[in-house]
Amino acid sequence: MKVFTKEEVAQYNGKNGNPAYVIYKGKVYDVSASFLWKDGTHQVLHSAGVDLTNALEQAPHGGDVLEKFPVVGIILSSGRSQTPSKP
Amino acid sequence: MARVAREMVEKAGINVDQLVKLLVKNAAAELTTYYYYTILRCNLIGLEGEGIKEIAEVARIEDRNHFEALVPRIYELGGNLPEDMKTFHDISACPPAKLPKDPTDIKAMLTVLVEAERCAVRGYTHICNLTAGKDHRTYDLSQAILNEEIEHESWFSEFLGEGPSGHFMRRGESSPFVSKFLR
Repeated sequence: MKVFTKEEVAQYNGKNGNPAYVIYKGKVYDVSASFLWKDGTHQVLHSAGVDLTNALEQAPHGGDVLEKFPVVGIILSSGRSQTPSKP
Repeated sequence: MARVAREMVEKAGINVDQLVKLLVKNAAAELTTYYYYTILRCNLIGLEGEGIKEIAEVARIEDRNHFEALVPRIYELGGNLPEDMKTFHDISACPPAKLPKDPTDIKAMLTVLVEAERCAVRGYTHICNLTAGKDHRTYDLSQAILNEEIEHESWFSEFLGEGPSGHFMRRGESSPFVSKFLR
């Protein structure tokens, strides 16, 4: 699985034809196909290309909504503990 | 526009432009849901479908009422609706509640209905959270709509066998919570 830095994911902001990727708990999800992520924006307040782990804590839904989207990579982190284990 | 009303909301710390965009997206969700529910209702036929048709119709009419109730608040806060209907459709806060490939599959029909309502419940909970204690009028309106969306969700959820709604059907007028905004 591809390993991204957060800076690399930032390029996938859903603008100008770019795919829309978001980070959640160390995984990178491709939400480009979602009706709710058109132009890389979600419900006015959230942008693609960023880590939404903290934002999802405040959201009116859980991280489970991301399960239907493909995981395209994981985030390279300084702490190995953030790297998700294989299923 | 209600200039002072908007100022009060801004002074309370709300980004009014963002809030207006959110209200427009939810108004789009209501009107498009009204449209898609019309198609769903028409296809709720047969022994199983007829049993669901009436609550689908109530939800359809109440979603249209939600659109009607949201529009004045959008304009009060200095916003407006897009001129182009397709643009309006495409900025909806919820995905289209499209007819399933097999309209005779009642579980698929109910899943479309309940998912649409769940999206709305999330959306208005979010707006209530943003406006609580800051924008009293938008909060009051969003809370009224939320009350009705929660009831719609529980009706369809009950038919899906997820547990009782605890409700009886509407008696009398529709939109018991939102009607005060429609006078």
